[in-house]
Order: sequence, then C-alpha cells, then structure tokens
Amino acid sequence: MKFFSRFKKNPIALKTNSDAIFSLSSAYITLEAKLGLKNTGRCAMCIKVVDGMYFADMKEDIQRFLDASKTDFELRYRMLTDSYGYLWVIIEGKHMEDILAGVTAVGDMVEEKGFSDKLLAAIFEFGSNIDNDNNINSIQYLIYNYKRNNFYPFIPTGQKNRDTEQEMKILSAVEQEVKFEKDMTFWYPMWDLPI
Amino acid sequence: MSSISKPAWQKRDTGLTIRMIFSFAILTLLYLIFLSVLSYLGIGFIPIIIIASAMILAQWYFSDKIVLWSSGAKLVSKEQEPELHELIERTVARNNIPKPRIAIIETSMPNAFATGRGQKSSVIAVTRGLLQILDKEEIEGVIAHELTHIRNHDALVLTLASLFSTVAWYLMQFGFYGGMYGGYGSGGRDRNGGGMMLIILLVAMLTWVISFLIIRAISRYREFAADRGSAQMTGKPVKLANALLKISGTMKRIPTKDLRQVEGLNAFFIVPALSGSTIGNLFSTHPPVERRVQKLMEMEASMS
Repeated sequence: MKFFSRFKKNPIALKTNSDAIFSLSSAYITLEAKLGLKNTGRCAMCIKVVDGMYFADMKEDIQRFLDASKTDFELRYRMLTDSYGYLWVIIEGKHMEDILAGVTAVGDMVEEKGFSDKLLAAIFEFGSNIDNDNNINSIQYLIYNYKRNNFYPFIPTGQKNRDTEQEMKILSAVEQEVKFEKDMTFWYPMWDLPI
Repeated sequence: MSSISKPAWQKRDTGLTIRMIFSFAILTLLYLIFLSVLSYLGIGFIPIIIIASAMILAQWYFSDKIVLWSSGAKLVSKEQEPELHELIERTVARNNIPKPRIAIIETSMPNAFATGRGQKSSVIAVTRGLLQILDKEEIEGVIAHELTHIRNHDALVLTLASLFSTVAWYLMQFGFYGGMYGGYGSGGRDRNGGGMMLIILLVAMLTWVISFLIIRAISRYREFAADRGSAQMTGKPVKLANALLKISGTMKRIPTKDLRQVEGLNAFFIVPALSGSTIGNLFSTHPPVERRVQKLMEMEASMS
C-alpha cells in the first residue's frame, strides 16, 4: 500500500496547493487592516503518519531542509506527533512570506515522496493584538484544508466552543482574496492545537 | 450630494427597486389584460369585483387581529416583558419610527413576524424560542428586520399584490358555477356560453398561477430589503446573519468534530447536496438563508 501510494496521482489535491497557500501573502495584510488581526508568525502543518521507511525518509528530508533554511529564511521549527496519529511540523518565522515559502516547500516534499493524500491541513495563527505589551488577546486560526484546497476560519473559545460570528467576519474580510470554503459544513475544528 | 460620501452598504439597492417596479408593472399589465378579456366577453364581473374587494378590505382592516389570532400571539405590556420592550424602544428611538405593539408566541420554534396596517397599528411578534436562543444583539437584528418590513409597508404591498390573485381566484370559482349553469348570456349567445366560460376559467387559472409566482418573488425581494434595512438600523449585519443561521438551524451544521477524526471518512469528496432547487425557490416566500447571509456578509465586508 505504501509502495503503491507513491505512484498514485491525486488530481484534486495537487497542483494548486501552493498557489492557494500563497494567496495568504496579501490576505494577511487585509486581515490586519480590516479586523486588526496580526499574524503571530506561527504555522503548523498536519500530516497523517504512515509507518515505514518512506515516511521516515520524508521526515528526515523535511528536517534537513528546515535545518538548512534556518539561516536563509529565519525559520524555526519543531516536530511532534499527536494522539490522533498526526505528525505536526510547526514552523515559526518573522515574515509571512518566509513562512509561506517554508510551508509550501515542505508540502512539495511530502508530495514528492508520494504522501500528498496524507497532507491534512496547514494552520496559520492570528491574534488580535490590542495592547502594546505583546499580549495576544484572542487566538484565531485560518485552516487550509489540503483536500478541499481552500481556507476556513477557526476560533476556539474555551472547551469545544467556537466563535462563529468572528469566523464569519474573517470570511467576509478575505473571501475575495483567498480560496475560501463557502460551505460551512466543512469548517471542521481542530481542538487543542499544539502550536 | 451626500450620497457620494455614503459607503456602499448604505446606498439604496437600485437593482432591488428596479425588480420591484418591474414585478408590479407585470402584475398591473396582467390585471389589465384580465379585465379587458372579461369586458370583451361581456360578463357582469362587477358583482364579483365588489365581493372580492370587500373581502380584501376586510382582510386588510382586520389583518393584525387575524394574524395574531391565528398565530396564537399574545400582546405583552412593558411590565410583562420589560427587557424586550426596552430593546425595541432603543431601536425605534434611534431610527425615529413609532414603537409597534409587541406580542409573544409561546412556542420554542424561533421565529418572528410583523403585521398591521400602518406604522401605528403594527405589531411585532416574536416567539419565546427566538428570545431564548438569540443573544441581545441578534434579537435586535431580527427586530430591526421586522421594523423595516413595517417601515416599507410590506404588508400593504403584499395585500395589494395579492388582490389580483384573489380576484382571479374568485373568478375561477364563478367560472366553474357559470360553466355548470350554462352562462348568463341571452338568446343567441346561449349556445357557446359554456365555451366562453371555459376560456374565462382558463384565463383566470393562468393569471392566478402567474400572479401567485410574482407575489412570491416580490415577497422574496422584500426580505432582502428588510435584511438590508436591519443592517442599516443596527450597523451590525453579522448579528442578523448569525441570527438567521441560528433560526434556520444552519448553525448546528457547523461541525464540532475534529478534522483529524473525520479525515478518514472521505467526507471531503462528497458532492454537496443541491441546496434548494430552482422550483423550490420559485414557490418560497423567503430567499434561502445562505443567500441572505451572503448578502449580509457582503455588507459587513463593505463596512470594515
């Protein structure tokens, strides 16, 4: 299965991923201008873990690449596996463009190794930063779903609750700029993000 | 003038106005065609018209009572529901409109409506369920929507529009009776009286069906207009959008299950079911919630 998955082409998931993700490079400015939301510089990629050598190889490749780009892109990263059995690649950077470049590069590497159907989501963190003490008041996420190839907002409030109203505001603010999930039934939450 | 500096969401929806006028023009045209067909056939339609008008007038005059009685809404005083009264008072005071009477329907289904002949005699009725599931600002959005219906005289508009279909409806019935008794005609016209009646019947049916559809269309446009008015009154389209989602139950469809849990279910490739067919749209008095929310969010976007 692992072996054959290398040859499997997934026409829906591929091709436009990078384009869709890069549309954030202008949308994040809009979010700041319209809603006062600042990108926190943190982003996480969520990849379903597959047992075996190929996946381990890929993981090493990603590590090597991110180690190498530490200096070029000023990116920091960490990796962990959650209780759902997903590998998280958490990337932190100073500039949105660098983060996006890192995320798309990692995405490409996953695809090259034939695990494109294991890519679940890329989560970008935002916060409304009202005071000057760098306190992030409310954490808000834009989740990019690789399979649907679009973004949707996710704002957790407390235990398994979400702020749908603010989510809709985000939708209305950037739906022209990024590929947005218009069908709210696909706005799946991701609780307890390890970002 | 001042309209230049107005932001997009405050401007009049010209397209809407044009569509409204267009719908009315068609309706009037149909009415005239219908009348001329009748007079061509030489039928004594005056008694029919008189009866129909009387019925419509009565319906118009007692509309608030009829609606309140049929919905089981109870008028509530300020002592009984101080919070709701205050909320509505604030909205009407800000927008310089007379305060309507307020009624509550004791049901858990969230809903609201406005009725009444004019601004003074109007009533806004809300269900207990609506007050329970919505927060204050969302209730305000819904109330402002209903206040816009009152301000726009939507009850009058729809009653006038349905006048025509009501007349057509009565004529259909008279057509049936007329057909049975062989028509009113005298002498030589007796022979084809039945055939004439059949034509009248067909024309009446056709006009009734068409006017029924047009009334539905007008009603849907009035809803968009009321949403718009509500957003202008409260300045918070997102609140009304939220309320609409809650009332329609769409809110419940926003998933709570984690993306990582549903990933294996292949849920992402399922083609979403068609949301409301075109036929369904033709017959409904309200536009689909998705469209209304979308329009409200467009206003929200143009505001920020």
